[in-house]
Amino acid sequence: MNTRKLAELSMLTAAALIVFIVELRFPDILPVPGVKLGLANIFTVYAVYRFKAKEVFLMVITRVTLGAVFSSNFSALLYSFSGAMMCLAGMLLVRRIIPVKYIWLCSIIGAILHNTGQILVAMLVMRSLAVLPFYPILLTAGCIAGAFTGICASLILKRHTPRSSD
Amino acid sequence: MTKGVKICIAAVGAVFIVSLVLTVRFLTPTDKNASEGSVWVEIVQDNNVIFTLDLSKEDDRSFRIESPEGGWNEVTIKDHSIMISDADCPDHTCVKTGTLRYEYLPIVCLPHKLVIRFCDKENS
Repeated sequence: MNTRKLAELSMLTAAALIVFIVELRFPDILPVPGVKLGLANIFTVYAVYRFKAKEVFLMVITRVTLGAVFSSNFSALLYSFSGAMMCLAGMLLVRRIIPVKYIWLCSIIGAILHNTGQILVAMLVMRSLAVLPFYPILLTAGCIAGAFTGICASLILKRHTPRSSD
Repeated sequence: MTKGVKICIAAVGAVFIVSLVLTVRFLTPTDKNASEGSVWVEIVQDNNVIFTLDLSKEDDRSFRIESPEGGWNEVTIKDHSIMISDADCPDHTCVKTGTLRYEYLPIVCLPHKLVIRFCDKENS
């Protein structure tokens, strides 16, 4: 990894963290644990179409860990981490079949997988199915939020199309 | 548009519609009414039922549920409805949920593994 790439990844991580912290100040839309816009995912989706899998993983792990530090909510780290990993793995897989033109679709799939990861971990932690009824609510909100972040990412790509030599 | 993209759009659309229908179903308030008969509620901690209450017979009161791993939730019963009024967890989602009013949506405190939900009398 050269210095240029390292700087670029760090800058994207920092930007994602700032957006994440700003979003913490937003009032909750629904009183359901885990429903949020996930604006920081704009940068993840963008990075998925821009960097190698390994590099995006580094970026997301850094963001989720530092996000837990800045929000001082370590009990949520388990959920955000499992959600982020499932989301990222899924998006890296579907980027092979979804061209960059349909980046919003990739983002929605990421959001669906993110919610799936969260609910799975919540069920494992609680050792009960009590949280399962929240799943469709998370999915509905996730699809809308995922489409939104995906459209934001495509706006970034429109203004800044990376050179292939990078 | 390639075949793969079409399949993905169809799958995402199906997931969205199914979850939307279920969301509307789950967000319908319960038809259980404390003035018409017994309304049973159970409080579950770490997958063990610790309290079973009949809301129609409960007076207004508050009590604190301690978590064995530290931390607490303040449960309040008011006008035959139940809510978590305060907690020392970082996210306060259980407090923001408000009163228990949806048949299928329990009040959940993930950090303290606490669930408050409607239940059938037979289970108590």
